[in-house]
Amino acid sequence: MVLLKNLQPPTEGIRHEQAETTAVMDGQRLGCGTLYVAETRLLWFDGSGLGFSLEYPTIGLHAISRDVSTYPQEHLYVMVNGKLSDENEAEMAEKAADDEDEDGSDDGEDDDQGTITEIRFVPSDKASLESMFSAMCECQALHPDPEDDDSDNDFEGEEYDVEEAEAEHGHSDIPSFYTCDEGLSALTQEGQATLERLEGMLAQSVAQQYHMAGVRTEETKADFEDGMEVDAAAMEAGQFEDADVEHW
Amino acid sequence: MESEGAESSVPAPVEVFSSIRERTIAENSMVVLLQGLQGEVTTVDLRNESTARGRVISVDAFMNIRLADVLYRDRRDQLTRLQDLFVTGRNVRYVHIPDHVDIMKTIQNQLSKIHRVRNFASEGGGRKEFPKKTK
Repeated sequence: MVLLKNLQPPTEGIRHEQAETTAVMDGQRLGCGTLYVAETRLLWFDGSGLGFSLEYPTIGLHAISRDVSTYPQEHLYVMVNGKLSDENEAEMAEKAADDEDEDGSDDGEDDDQGTITEIRFVPSDKASLESMFSAMCECQALHPDPEDDDSDNDFEGEEYDVEEAEAEHGHSDIPSFYTCDEGLSALTQEGQATLERLEGMLAQSVAQQYHMAGVRTEETKADFEDGMEVDAAAMEAGQFEDADVEHW
Repeated sequence: MESEGAESSVPAPVEVFSSIRERTIAENSMVVLLQGLQGEVTTVDLRNESTARGRVISVDAFMNIRLADVLYRDRRDQLTRLQDLFVTGRNVRYVHIPDHVDIMKTIQNQLSKIHRVRNFASEGGGRKEFPKKTK
């Protein structure tokens, strides 16, 4: 016998809402109501506000059943680990573990005991089963198992810290940005020369800013060997006078 | 948990690399092998002694498995057909690898997919993720 409690409908994070849905728990028909697939939990309650909620970590599996030879109605099947108690469903798993396991140890023991609750949500609109199923999949993915003792999922320390990894790699083909101090020391001789030349150009162009917007059109220096050409002929005096010269 | 990807509601194989954390977890565990089973028909043994045999739609980093066209056998040996099944990683005991699957190749393919995702944006100047080298 399951006692239904007064529940409030969730106000946010509802991935799917399905009205006219009958809930059947371990073969017992609880009535017709509304199923809420919310991000925090799964809720169902009938028109008079009585219902139950399920925590996703307690849900072992869910499925769409369209096999009417096994169960006469197409429905969403949900298998819950443990038994739903009369108390707060959120503590359900612990309570079940206490009841069945003399050691009172973790839920893993309870799972192996295999006590489950089978719930079937039978919507009047059978076409909605896919949406209900998908919504539950999404919400389940939001609740990864916190006490997974099988795998070493503690990868906090190994997650990708880009800066750290770049420092370790030191690959020259991977572009990275240096702060001013670091950068100066990382320059090669050539790099240093280029830097000086460019800075020189900038300094020169400041003096000319009222004629041209930072573009040299007077004598081209012989040491501009990097192929940068200034087409002096195309420039007219005052061409850029109306340009905003504050460009750095 | 940030999740950029979206699960399609159409029962077709989908890539489930939805976050950096999931990629990290997957790359460092055997779950990559299971992720490489998408499209294969296989049997999953559950921890409650039941089994589910169906086509693998997706496996995420937490070993949550989605199967389609499933034959579900419960503890009492009762058979049920299920159109779609989602079992949480916690409830999986075994996943049978089909005989014809080349395990090493599958793992290598999955890892190269992860690396492709990771390097994809770097050429365009996007996000870069690098594995920490443990030497």
